[in-house]
Amino acid sequence: MSATTVGPETIRSPLGEFWRRFRRKRVAMGAGIVLVLIVLAAALAPWLAPYDPAAPDYNNVLAGPAAAHWLGTDSYGRDILSRIIWGGRISLSVGFISVALGGGAGVILGLVSGYLGGWVDSLIMRLADVLFAFPGILLAIGVVAVLGPGITNVIYAVAVFSVPVFARLVRGSTLALKQTVYVQASRSIGVRRVPLVLRHILPGTLPGVIVYVSLRIGTAILTAASLSFIGLGAQPPSPEWGAMLAYGRSYLGVADHLTLFPGIAIFITVLAFNLLGDGLRDALDQKLR
Amino acid sequence: MFAFILRRVGGMIPVLFCVSLFAFGFVRLLPGDPARLLAGPDATQQDVQIVRESLGLDKPLWQQYVRYMTQTAQGELGKSARTDEPVATVIGERFMPTFWLTLVAMVWATILGVVIGVISGVRRGKWQDQTGMVLAVSGISFPAFWLGLLLIDLFSVRLHWLPTGGNETWRGYILPGFTLGVAVAAVMARFTRSAFVEVASEDYVRTARMKGLPERRVVWTHTLRNALIPVITMTGLQFGFLLGGSIVIETVFAWPGLGRLLVDSVNYRDYPVIQAEILLFSFEFVLINLGVDVLYAIVNPEIRLR
Amino acid sequence: MPNPEISRRGLLAGTAAIGATLAFADLAHAASPSGILTVGVQANLLTLDPANANDTLSQGAARLMLEGLLGFDKDMKQIPLLAEKYDANEAATEFTFHLRQGVKFHDGTPFDAEAVKFNFERIANPANRLKRQSLLAMLDHVEVIDAHTAKCVLKNPFGAFVPTIAHPSLQLLSPAAIKKYGDQIGRHPVGTGPFVFTSWTPDTLKVTANPDYWQKGLPHVKQVVLRSNPEAGARIAMLQSGEAQFVNPVPAPMVQLVANNPKTAMLEAPSIFANYMAMNVMKKPFDDVRVRQALNHAVDQKAFAKIVYSGHATPLLSAEPPHVTFYKEQPAYAYDPAKAKALLAEAGHKDGFSAVLWGGNSTETIQAMQFLQQQFAAVGVKVDVRPLEGGVLASKIWTVQKPEDSELEMYYGRWSSSTGDADWALRPLFATSAFPPHLYNVGYYSNPDVDKALQGGLETADPAKRQAFYEDAQARIYKDAAWVFLGIGNTLAGRDKKLSDAWVLPDGGLLIDAAKLG
Repeated sequence: MSATTVGPETIRSPLGEFWRRFRRKRVAMGAGIVLVLIVLAAALAPWLAPYDPAAPDYNNVLAGPAAAHWLGTDSYGRDILSRIIWGGRISLSVGFISVALGGGAGVILGLVSGYLGGWVDSLIMRLADVLFAFPGILLAIGVVAVLGPGITNVIYAVAVFSVPVFARLVRGSTLALKQTVYVQASRSIGVRRVPLVLRHILPGTLPGVIVYVSLRIGTAILTAASLSFIGLGAQPPSPEWGAMLAYGRSYLGVADHLTLFPGIAIFITVLAFNLLGDGLRDALDQKLR
Repeated sequence: MFAFILRRVGGMIPVLFCVSLFAFGFVRLLPGDPARLLAGPDATQQDVQIVRESLGLDKPLWQQYVRYMTQTAQGELGKSARTDEPVATVIGERFMPTFWLTLVAMVWATILGVVIGVISGVRRGKWQDQTGMVLAVSGISFPAFWLGLLLIDLFSVRLHWLPTGGNETWRGYILPGFTLGVAVAAVMARFTRSAFVEVASEDYVRTARMKGLPERRVVWTHTLRNALIPVITMTGLQFGFLLGGSIVIETVFAWPGLGRLLVDSVNYRDYPVIQAEILLFSFEFVLINLGVDVLYAIVNPEIRLR
Repeated sequence: MPNPEISRRGLLAGTAAIGATLAFADLAHAASPSGILTVGVQANLLTLDPANANDTLSQGAARLMLEGLLGFDKDMKQIPLLAEKYDANEAATEFTFHLRQGVKFHDGTPFDAEAVKFNFERIANPANRLKRQSLLAMLDHVEVIDAHTAKCVLKNPFGAFVPTIAHPSLQLLSPAAIKKYGDQIGRHPVGTGPFVFTSWTPDTLKVTANPDYWQKGLPHVKQVVLRSNPEAGARIAMLQSGEAQFVNPVPAPMVQLVANNPKTAMLEAPSIFANYMAMNVMKKPFDDVRVRQALNHAVDQKAFAKIVYSGHATPLLSAEPPHVTFYKEQPAYAYDPAKAKALLAEAGHKDGFSAVLWGGNSTETIQAMQFLQQQFAAVGVKVDVRPLEGGVLASKIWTVQKPEDSELEMYYGRWSSSTGDADWALRPLFATSAFPPHLYNVGYYSNPDVDKALQGGLETADPAKRQAFYEDAQARIYKDAAWVFLGIGNTLAGRDKKLSDAWVLPDGGLLIDAAKLG
């Protein structure tokens, strides 16, 4: 589909080519910049946050946005801005780590499944089917119930959601790559399986994986929020955004800033990850369903 | 092709068998004694024992399993431990509300998704494209419960236009359908857009354009019609995905559907209902995956032959 | 509402006569019932067979259609319903009920002593596997003296039998209907109440006015619809948008939404829910009474009411709330962090200690636990808050077989005595015999003097003697600081201003059979 005219001076490395295309996606670039800022804010929380995110002040509860507290205070009188800044660490970690875990497992399963084929493929794919078929939220409830509450277990629970997604995706591209000339050629000259998969197939699946990582991080942050909604999320007094949003909803109509600001934080972050993912997809020219 | 489908249908049976086994094990792996939970917050130990016996949970695990499998194989799902109703009735009552809600959500998703997708596709690379895509993606970036509560506040409390929830009148479907639909609309819009872009470069569209047909007609009759085929497939898949019922949206909008039933059943460890719901969802999912695989096989014959 | 004389004090005196004229039977102005009352509630109903219901909501819903021999008024005082009067013997083993005459079940069968016998013996029989069997476990049999007199004969003395009879789980169903529907009676309730069952889908119950109701002039509304709406904000929205005329409960933070709306009003009254934090007294450092007292001094009960209940709560000054029988206020543990620190130091915890706090995972519970975490942090006690899902809570706390197996350190919870009686408010939580898994003494508090008092209260039906026993128990429990005593939340319901005479009982149950619209 990409019919770029290739002149002597336009030959670029794949990475360069990708960058050239990606740079033109202004929306995705913007999303990327926003994400960098959010990550920076979270990383610099101890310096940026004006207050201790856990310090209560019972004489100043549910105060609206004002000079002393830019985004107001919550039902314990804690500073919402500080909680959002610190909470970014937790919400982003949930997103990154859970997708890294789930994606990692999914990629391995997908490679094995796609490359080996046969009964291994059937087994893995049927397992993925079962995992897919199993209502995700029920799995999460199970994970949190069995392992106990806490942010680490929320991460595991959310990671499970991602495994079958990546497994299917990677298996698909592995199947296609297996048929390519260079893989067939490497095979015929006797390159052993593991190096072959790692060197020739894995890199080919990566563009799709990268796109999905970006999209799934957004989903993971939202899933963690849903878990908080049903009471299985991060442990108090953790300022995870979803938890802030879920607890703040008791004050809807009374003190809307309790939900408004965490809600906006989640929305912007997830939106940015999604737009970045879309931009990456276009730039990598991936036709993904 | 036929043999391939047959093979895949055959493959469903072990999956469903595994799921039923998994379901049985899973519910029992959840910590918490169902008898204790069902007996209520101020039951005596004697009450708890009564409940345990009436549920057959005092029997050894293998006996429970044999009973469950023989029942399931006969299509008999048992009685809800929580309400004493037959499980088939419990699920039956909840299935239709979820089904209709899903349908309304898909209508919303299709309207929003296709319109945004077409505009973005036609105006590819222009500001309309970018705005459209940002708008569409916004739909999957909202925490659903927050969006739902905001919509209730606006349309029910402030404007008095729509009910807060419940499925008693058609107006009750609008808000939950929309909240559920916007998440799907994003996927639909992306899909429509790329399908549109692809179709637009096909020969017959170019021919139509060269024949001097008005652009609007080219877009709406020639391009859209053909771009819709993959979009319809997509719709089907998403439809199946939503049939499980959304726990969050059904809770916010007081919808008597499968999602809420699942949460309630898990809260009370209502084993028979959880098991049956898992089986139902799995069945829907396996069917849909089968559909996808068949489609793949049509598109790429190599897969069929492997 | 003036109450006919049927107090526990009248019990030993022999017969408590009850006038048949009830305050709300306003015959002169009886109009035919009109209007539909929609009530937004929190959860789905589980069953309409009260003997098999363990949740206040289902019991309250059943109250629309069914009645007991005795019932509660809005302050949870006993009132006569299907029994006009009763007498008890000295030993508290025989209770005779004189039944109201001319009452019919909705299916046309007469209400009589045989019906009482059938219902009570059905519940008492363990073979029927009803969830509330334990309520009548002490019942030996019911004697039918004549068509309108039934005598309950107990196996052993049970001083709290009359309050038990007023429990909503002992409302009466038509024996003919029970025989007809068998174990599905919970889906087809047939009683004597002001409303007749119409339909019940998963989240909506509809009942229609009973034209032959024995209390002339009732009910006032033609139809009552009970709709469940689990999400608090959406439930309040039902009231604000006019879809519902009554919602219960209203979460404390949202009270002002209802109160400030010109069309709606709040209905607020003290509940009988005691909010407490139990400590495992078998574990260090909670085995030391000074530590438990220190934690009591570390908590500001006023701040608890303000932060956790948005001000809609009162301090808890005994092991039971004031609206439970035989309540006796105790001298408060004053909020005094310095004293708390001093007590901790005295107990050898100068630098505080760390502990884990368990509780449920509802938003309210999590809020309360965070509050405790903050309060204890101020005196150097570091608390790790763990909200647990219901099933996990059950397996980690209530079904622990031996006290030494319990991992529990601190537990936040709330309790209401479903009979409104001191026995059920104290015995399940403080008696040695109430250690899990038997009952709910999750802190394994054990004091022989308290045990003696609680047992004494059960073995007599003399209110004066019971009063003495329960006051003794309350004083000891409070002094031992068996709990960190926190507060009593108010019942909070919202109503449309057009609606009157709809109430929420102190136990959170609905009382809407006499509700009036317009």
